[in-house]
Amino acid sequence: MAGVNTHDPERQEMVSRRTMLFGGGVTLLFGGIATRLYQLQIANHQKYLDLAQENQFNRRVLTPLRGEIVDRFGDPLASNRKNFRVLLVPEQARDVDAILDKINKITPVSEEKRARIMREIRRRGAFTPVQIADNLSWENFSKLNFELPHLSGVLPDVGETRDYPYGADAAFVIGYVGAVTERDLASEESDEERVLLRQPGFKVGREGLERTYEEELRGEAGAMNVKINAHGRVIEELANSAVPPVQGKTLTLTIDSELQAQAMEILSKPGERMPDEPQSAAAVVMDVVTGDILVLASTPAFNPNDFNVGIDPDLWKELNQSPYKPLLNKPLSGVYPPGSTFKLISAIAAQRAGVKPNHSVYCSGRVWYGNRYFHCWKRGGHGNVNMKDALKHSCDTFFYDVAKTLEIDLLAETARKFGLGQTYELGIPGQQRGVIPDRDWKREYFAGNPAQQPWFQGETLSCIIGQGYVTSTPLQLAVMSARVATGRAVRPRLVRAVGDLILPAPEAPLVDVDQDYLAVVRAGMNAVTNEYGTAARSRIDDPDWQLAGKTGTSQVYAITAEDRARGLAEPEDLPWARRDHALFVCYMPYENPRYACSVVVEHGIGGSRAAGPKARDIMKAVAEKDPASRAPLDPRTLARAAGVRES
Amino acid sequence: MSSIILPGRRRGFRDKFSRLHWPLIILLTMIAGAGVITLYSVAEGNWQPWAMKHGLRYLAALGILIGVAMVPIRYWMALAYPTYFAALIALALVPFIGEVNMGARRWIEFGGLQFQPSEAMKIGLVLGLARYYQGLRAEQVSHLLYLIPPALMVGAPVGLIFIQPDLGTALLLAATGAIMIFVAGLSWRIGFLGIVGAIAGGYAAYRFDVLKEYQLRRITTFLDPERDPLGQGYHLLQSKTGIGSGGLTGKGFMEGTQAQLKFLPEMQTDFIFTVFGEEFGFVGAVGLLLLYLAVIFAGLSIAMQSKLHFARMMTIGVVATFTLYVLINTGMVMGLAPVVGVPLPLVSYGGTVMLTIMAGFGLVMSAYVHRDQDMYRSGDSL
Repeated sequence: MAGVNTHDPERQEMVSRRTMLFGGGVTLLFGGIATRLYQLQIANHQKYLDLAQENQFNRRVLTPLRGEIVDRFGDPLASNRKNFRVLLVPEQARDVDAILDKINKITPVSEEKRARIMREIRRRGAFTPVQIADNLSWENFSKLNFELPHLSGVLPDVGETRDYPYGADAAFVIGYVGAVTERDLASEESDEERVLLRQPGFKVGREGLERTYEEELRGEAGAMNVKINAHGRVIEELANSAVPPVQGKTLTLTIDSELQAQAMEILSKPGERMPDEPQSAAAVVMDVVTGDILVLASTPAFNPNDFNVGIDPDLWKELNQSPYKPLLNKPLSGVYPPGSTFKLISAIAAQRAGVKPNHSVYCSGRVWYGNRYFHCWKRGGHGNVNMKDALKHSCDTFFYDVAKTLEIDLLAETARKFGLGQTYELGIPGQQRGVIPDRDWKREYFAGNPAQQPWFQGETLSCIIGQGYVTSTPLQLAVMSARVATGRAVRPRLVRAVGDLILPAPEAPLVDVDQDYLAVVRAGMNAVTNEYGTAARSRIDDPDWQLAGKTGTSQVYAITAEDRARGLAEPEDLPWARRDHALFVCYMPYENPRYACSVVVEHGIGGSRAAGPKARDIMKAVAEKDPASRAPLDPRTLARAAGVRES
Repeated sequence: MSSIILPGRRRGFRDKFSRLHWPLIILLTMIAGAGVITLYSVAEGNWQPWAMKHGLRYLAALGILIGVAMVPIRYWMALAYPTYFAALIALALVPFIGEVNMGARRWIEFGGLQFQPSEAMKIGLVLGLARYYQGLRAEQVSHLLYLIPPALMVGAPVGLIFIQPDLGTALLLAATGAIMIFVAGLSWRIGFLGIVGAIAGGYAAYRFDVLKEYQLRRITTFLDPERDPLGQGYHLLQSKTGIGSGGLTGKGFMEGTQAQLKFLPEMQTDFIFTVFGEEFGFVGAVGLLLLYLAVIFAGLSIAMQSKLHFARMMTIGVVATFTLYVLINTGMVMGLAPVVGVPLPLVSYGGTVMLTIMAGFGLVMSAYVHRDQDMYRSGDSL
C-alpha cells in the first residue's frame, strides 16, 4: 500500500471530536480544582486562617519559681537554685540513642535513666522537650555546650530546682518535692495547671509542708506568645504579650533554723555508755506562750536534696530498711508509752479525785493489787512519799495507791485536757494520735472479745505510770509540759505566715481544771532537776533559766527470771530493740515559763541518763538565744524586699 | 518506514520564526514568571537559591523549545521510534546501573550527567504512540490486534518505572497513554472495559501487596488526612491550611505565614501551589489555573489545526502530560489526590521537568509551525 496519502478525513474528524471531548473534560476537572479552591479559600477561609494563626503562635509557659520556706527570722529552709540541665526535643534528634551515648561521655546516663527517658519520649510525643540530665556542674555544662553542634535536638537550659540548705536538719519540717506523676496530672483540675505540671523538670510537693502547702508554694504560671516555625523553633519572642509568672508564696515558719540544727546535733550525739549506737531520737521545743514550735527534730534523718533530684534506689532501700527509721517523722508520727512523764497528768487527776498534795504513801518497793505485785522502779522503795516527792523521785507506789480508787475516765479526760491523745493542725501529714485509754476506748478496742471489754482497775495501775495502753507522741508531750507550765491550753503551730498574711497565734484559754492543782506538779518538776530528783544531772545553773522537768522510762520488754538466769543483768545486754525508751519533758524558766521541750530517745534505756541531758543541752541553746525575745521576721517586709529584687 | 514525500517548499528560518505560536510562548512565560515570583518569596525575598536559577533555566529551555520547533516535524516523526526505544532501553538499564536515591533507583549516569530515563520516556512514549497511530486507519484503532502494540508500548515503561519504584510517574505515563489511545479513536466499549480492568488491577495490586508501604500510606492518608495530623497527614493539613488561610485575595506577596514559617515541606517543588495560593489568594490561584487552561486549549487548537496525524497525536500527548501534571499537583496539595510527588509544571523548581515540558512544547510548536505539512503513508506499520 505504498504511497497512500495519510490524509484520512475520518481519522481527522475522530481526533477532532475526541480532542474537543478531552478539552471539555479538562475544563470540567479544572472547574473541580477551582471549586476546591473556593471551598478552602472562601467557604472555609476562617477555619484555615485560625489554624494558620495557631500554627504561628505558640503559648509558651513560663514556669514560676516555687515559694520559699523560711524560718521565723527569714532564714531560708527551702529555696531555689540554678539547675544546669539538658533537654532533648525528640523530633529534632535523629538518633536519640547516639545522642545519649555522646552525653554519657560527659555526664553518666545510667541504663535505668535511659529507659526512663525513652519511656517519657513515647509518652509525651515528639514535640515536648524531655529532660535528659540535670544538676550538671558548670564544667560539664560548658563541655556539653561545646559539643552542641554535634548534638541535634539537644537543648541546654538553665532551670531552677529546689534546694534545702539545711539538708537533713529540717527534713521532717519541710518534707520534699518530687517529679510529677500521672496521678498528679489526673488529680489536677485545670488544663493550664496540667500544662505547667508537664514542663520538663517540674516538681511538686511530696511530703511535709511542701505537700500540704503545694497550692500556695507553686505560684502562677506565666506565659509568653512566641512565633514558631514548623520545627517548633522560636522565631520571635513577643515580649509585650508576656504575662510574667508569679512566684509562689513564701511560707514563714515558727522554726528557729539555728536551734533546729543545734538540736539535731545534740540528738545525734551518741550515748555515754554506747558510743557506737546511732541515736534514734526526737525533740520538740515550743514557745509556751504562742505555741510556736521552735524545734522539731528527728534523728536519724534523710536529706531532702536526695529526693529532689530523684532518689537513688539503693539509698531508698537503705532508708526504708533501717531499724532506726530515718523516714519516720518521730516527733509527730512516733508513738511511745510516755512512762513516768505521764505522772504530771496522774498528779493532776489525783487532785481532781480529791487526793491532797500532802497525801502520804509508804513505798516499800511494791504493791499487792488484784492477784499480783506492782513494782516501783526502785526495788528498795522510797519510804514515805507525798505527791511532790512522788514526782521528784518518780515513785510508782504513790501512784499505784492513787490508782486503786481512781476512775480511769477521769485520768483520760485530764490527759486530753493537757494535750494528749489528739493531733494538731501543723500542716504535716501523718501525725499519730496515740492512745489515751478509757472505758469507751476499751469497749471499742476489744469489740470482738466481750470478756476483755470491761475496764479492770488493775489496768489503771499500769496506765497511771504511763504504761499499759497509754501512748503518746513527742509533740503531745511537749504540749503537755507547755500546758502544765502555763495552765493554758496552748496549741502548737508551725506556720507563722503564708505569703504576707500573718496567722494569729491560736487562742490559749486556761485549761479547765483548778489551777491550784498545778502548783504541786510544777514544784515536783522543779525538784526533779533542782532538788536532787531523778534528773539532777539535767539542771541548768543559770538562775534566769531554771529548768523544771520530768523523766520517763517506758518499758518495751520486761526482763524475765529466765533472762536473769542467763546472766542478763544490765539493760545494755538486751538487744537494742528491746531496751526501754528514754523520755524527758521540761519547761523553763520555772518562774514565768517561756519554753517547753520534750525529748524521746528510742531504746535509750533511761530518761534521766539518755533523754534528760539532751533536753538540757537543747534548752541551754534555747536559753542562750532566747528566740522568743527577738522580733521575728515580718513577712510583709520580706514581700516588699522580694518586690524590690524583682524590679 | 521508507520514503517520505514532501508537499510544498521548505521554509526559511525567519519565516518559521514568525510562524511560532507567540500567544502560547507568552502564556508559558507568564506561568514561569509566576514560578520565579513564588520561588523568590519562598526564599524569604532572595533570588537565591531558586528564583534566579529558575528564570535562567526557563530562558534556556525556551531556547530549546524554539530550536525544537524549527526542526521539521517529519524529522521528529522519523526520530519517534528511536527515541522511544532508546528511552525504554535506558529504563531497562536503571535497575542495573542506576543510582539509588531516597530508596528508589531512578537515575543513571550518562557521560558525567545525571539522567532520569523516566523523564525521557514521557517524551518517548508520546512520540512512539503518535508515530504508531500515524500508520493506523480510524477503523483499525479499536481492533484488538492493533491494540496490542500500544498496550505493550505503554505497559513496558509503566512496569519498569513502577518497580523503581515511582508510582506517580508510572501512573502519569499510563494515563497519558490511555488519553492518547482514547483520542486516537478507541471505541467507548473497549475504553470502558479498560477502565474496569484498571480498577480491578489496582485492587489486585492493593490486595497482593504490590505497593510499597509508603505508597499505601500515602493513599490511606489521602483518604483521611486528619487521622494522623502529625505524621503523613501533617503536610496535607498544613498545605490546606496555607491555601485556605489565603482567602479571596491572599496574604500578599511574601506575607504567607505558612510558607515563611516553613510549615510546608518541599515548598519550592511539590507544594509551591500552596505558597502561591496562600499569598495571592483565590483570585491569584484561579488566575494561574486559567493560564494553564489557556495553554491547554492553545495546545488542543494546534492539534486540531495540524494536517499530519502524527503531529495531532503527539500534540495531544504533550498536552495530556502537561494537563495531568497540573491536575495532579493542584489536586494533591488540596487533598483531592494522593501526595505522589508531582511538580507543578513551570512553577515548581526543578530542571529536569522544566526541560521535559519545554521540549514537549517545542514539539507542539514544531507541529504548529509545520501544521500545513502532510505526508503520504508508505505502508501499514503492521
